[in-house]
Amino acid sequence: MDLVTVNGLTKRYGGIVALSDATFSARAGEVHALLGENGAGKSTFIQILSGAVRHDGGSILIDGQDYRPANPDAAQARGIAAVFQELSLIPDLSVEQNIWFRHEPRTLLRTVNRGEMRRKTLALLEKYSFPTLRPDRELRRLTLAERQIVEIAKGLAKDPRIIILDEATSALPAREAEWLLKLTRQLAAEGRLVIFISHRMAEVRAIADRLTIFRNGATVAAHEANAVSDNEIVAQMIGRHLDRLYPERIPTATDRVALKVQGISSGSRLSGVEFALREGEVLGVGGLQGHGQRELFQALFGATRATGAVELWGKPVSIANPRQALTGRDGIALVPEDRRGQGLLLTKSVRENLTLSVIKRFTENGLLSRQKEAELVKEMVDFLRIKAGTPEQLAGTLSGGNQQKVIFGKMLLTQARILLLYDPTRGVDVGTKGEIFQLMRDLAAKGYAILFHSSDMPELVHVADRVMVMRNGRIAATLEGDHISEEEILRAAMLETRAA
Amino acid sequence: MSAFLARNRLIVLAYAGMVVLLLVTALFSPGFLSVSNMRSTVVLAAFVGIVALGQTFVIIGGGIDLSVPWVLNSAAIIMALLCGGQDVPLVWVTPLLLAGGAFIGLINGVGVARFGVPPIIMTLATNVILQGLILVLTGGSPTPSAPALIQFLSVGRIGGFPVIALIWLALTLVATLLLSKAAFGRHLYALGTSATVAEFSGVPTARTTILTYVASGLTAAFAGMLLTGYSGQAYLGMGDAYLFTSIAAVAIGGASILGGSGHYLGTVAGAMVLTILTGLLPALNLSSGALLIVYGAVILLTVSIGSEAFAGLGGRLRRN
Ligand SMILES: Nc1ncnc2c1ncn2[C@@H]1O[C@H](COP(=O)(O)OP(=O)(O)OP(=O)(O)O)[C@@H](O)[C@H]1O
Ligand SMILES: [Mg+2]
Repeated sequence: MDLVTVNGLTKRYGGIVALSDATFSARAGEVHALLGENGAGKSTFIQILSGAVRHDGGSILIDGQDYRPANPDAAQARGIAAVFQELSLIPDLSVEQNIWFRHEPRTLLRTVNRGEMRRKTLALLEKYSFPTLRPDRELRRLTLAERQIVEIAKGLAKDPRIIILDEATSALPAREAEWLLKLTRQLAAEGRLVIFISHRMAEVRAIADRLTIFRNGATVAAHEANAVSDNEIVAQMIGRHLDRLYPERIPTATDRVALKVQGISSGSRLSGVEFALREGEVLGVGGLQGHGQRELFQALFGATRATGAVELWGKPVSIANPRQALTGRDGIALVPEDRRGQGLLLTKSVRENLTLSVIKRFTENGLLSRQKEAELVKEMVDFLRIKAGTPEQLAGTLSGGNQQKVIFGKMLLTQARILLLYDPTRGVDVGTKGEIFQLMRDLAAKGYAILFHSSDMPELVHVADRVMVMRNGRIAATLEGDHISEEEILRAAMLETRAA
Repeated sequence: MSAFLARNRLIVLAYAGMVVLLLVTALFSPGFLSVSNMRSTVVLAAFVGIVALGQTFVIIGGGIDLSVPWVLNSAAIIMALLCGGQDVPLVWVTPLLLAGGAFIGLINGVGVARFGVPPIIMTLATNVILQGLILVLTGGSPTPSAPALIQFLSVGRIGGFPVIALIWLALTLVATLLLSKAAFGRHLYALGTSATVAEFSGVPTARTTILTYVASGLTAAFAGMLLTGYSGQAYLGMGDAYLFTSIAAVAIGGASILGGSGHYLGTVAGAMVLTILTGLLPALNLSSGALLIVYGAVILLTVSIGSEAFAGLGGRLRRN
């Protein structure tokens, strides 16, 4: 018998239909992938399953029994745990305190049994071969990827029968993502049901037993994973055939140097990085996570203190803060790593977010022209096909991929021609990914210069003209032409640099 | 229009509360809605409203200004001392005091934005220092009476309208333009919503923060001058009540005390609500102690209605 059976599930938010007719069924012991475009309703679906929101109509059966959780606790009581992105964690608590939050082991006096908590934490981390995590570390000191891992541990701590991973790999670097895939198989082998959401087709192929595809809030298909091809899946997801994900790489770099960096250093994470990014070039930045990529991007954007010399379009500049980076066409714009913490005002509208960096441009004699603003916003929403009810919808209520599009649009509106893209496709669906890569190439052809980091290595390999591999805060190697491959990137990231 | 209502639900709520309160008050004391009584209510509300103008900016930006009582009081006393009851010195005393208020705001702002001092500590400190300075300056002796021109501004009328109401109206217009129609307003809301996101978006966060405290220093000093005209004299402690009322007016007006939301138009309603309430409570024939209790409870209630609505909004923002 199926463990979960869902029929005709519906959910509306005001005028916005998030789910119109979702059906779903999955068995214990399988990895079940949930696929669909940005805004298709995947997160809404799992929020309903995990008791975070309530559905309007339709039915959910667990073990054949009616299931309608009033809150996440009720869902947990039925053995369902969801791993959302970093949000449910508390920055001031330690890793272990977060993992066991509200379920702390107690002593006879009902105080928290710290020894037991530590023991259980270590046992859990050991059992599932977690990447190294110090249980006593304060959460706020962790990177986004580490927080994601803690979130996973927190889900597993409840020993759930059904565990839901919503784009959990999207915040993880290659090695950790691979670990998560193994973990997923292990969990299924233990007889649990894993519902797995990801926009990375290769991952889905690697682990899913079955898959269900959503489009516009309704289920369009369910398959045995080995009975269907990638192309069919993608076509069912986006409603059309996708010829290719990666655009043709036609070199457009000129001899003009857009961004010249000499000996830039910041703390212990970035030491003496040098490179030149040319007009029309897409320069990839790869390497294992935590080797200075984040610091490099933030330092160039003025968001982190750094020393060293920087030239923009041949002119020496000193950039002390992002405002000095964002100086119109000759400036630098950034798509930051942490979209909710650095990129978006979640409680403000799509419109306000898009125009925040350029709001001065809409003023005449000091007064804003709402009409001019609205026109540009509409153009950008249409151009990137941001799925929002109206531009007044709050950014925090958009689907994850659409939030990422808003950040992308906000960056394009600055008109800066040097773009720093830190994982710009995180959480973006395949169709849109292809469009973003095409857009990057088009911008490069127009004379933009793009520094591009991706936690998904194939993206670097297929989109960048050159790839700089970072190790210990330095450039360990710069790969060009035929030398750009996943193996070469990994080799440079891990081994000593070979003499060039 | 309905989109406007939805976006500004809390402000609309504040005005609805004001109307309800007016009607209730009229029930208990039938003379309350008379022209002369409404006039004096508006005058009293104007003082709260003017102090709360700067406070609104500060709070939207994610801070709080606890130095308003003694900025107000200092301006009042220094004006009375320097003018000695004469109008002529106002020519230089007015700019001096406004600059002084702005300067205190500058110190607060720089302390908060550049040196990272928590707003509560920073502004509490300037408040106490000013208090000490004024005590040293006056030695506790009474000051001369307010210049006639200032008295006219605070209790006089033009064509039946209280002058100060007209001043308040003009300031409301300016504040609304700044918040709704200027880049400054966008920067301010962004700053109060998330300082990090604002910084990453190129918002001049330090400058914006400093400006809010400067505005608050300015409006507190200005209110101090006007209030001297209203009471005829400056005295120690005349600003004390405005610490609570300026913050409560902002909160009742629908702003989140955590920053990022609210509008001066809401604060205007908040100032009216507070003032009507002080008019209503005596009509209930309660002892002054009981009055304070009711006053506090009503404010607590109003503000928590607002913040609950806010919390509900936050809850709907989803994890993805
Ligand atoms: N609180 C809300 N208010 C308004 N609309 C909402 C709310 N929550 C979800 N929606 C809308 O519901 C739709 C489905 O969103 P959902 O997050 O489920 O998509 P998704 O499939 O997870 O997409 P992604 O791949 O981008 O994460 C979106 O159009 C979204 O804007
Ligand atoms: Mg989602």
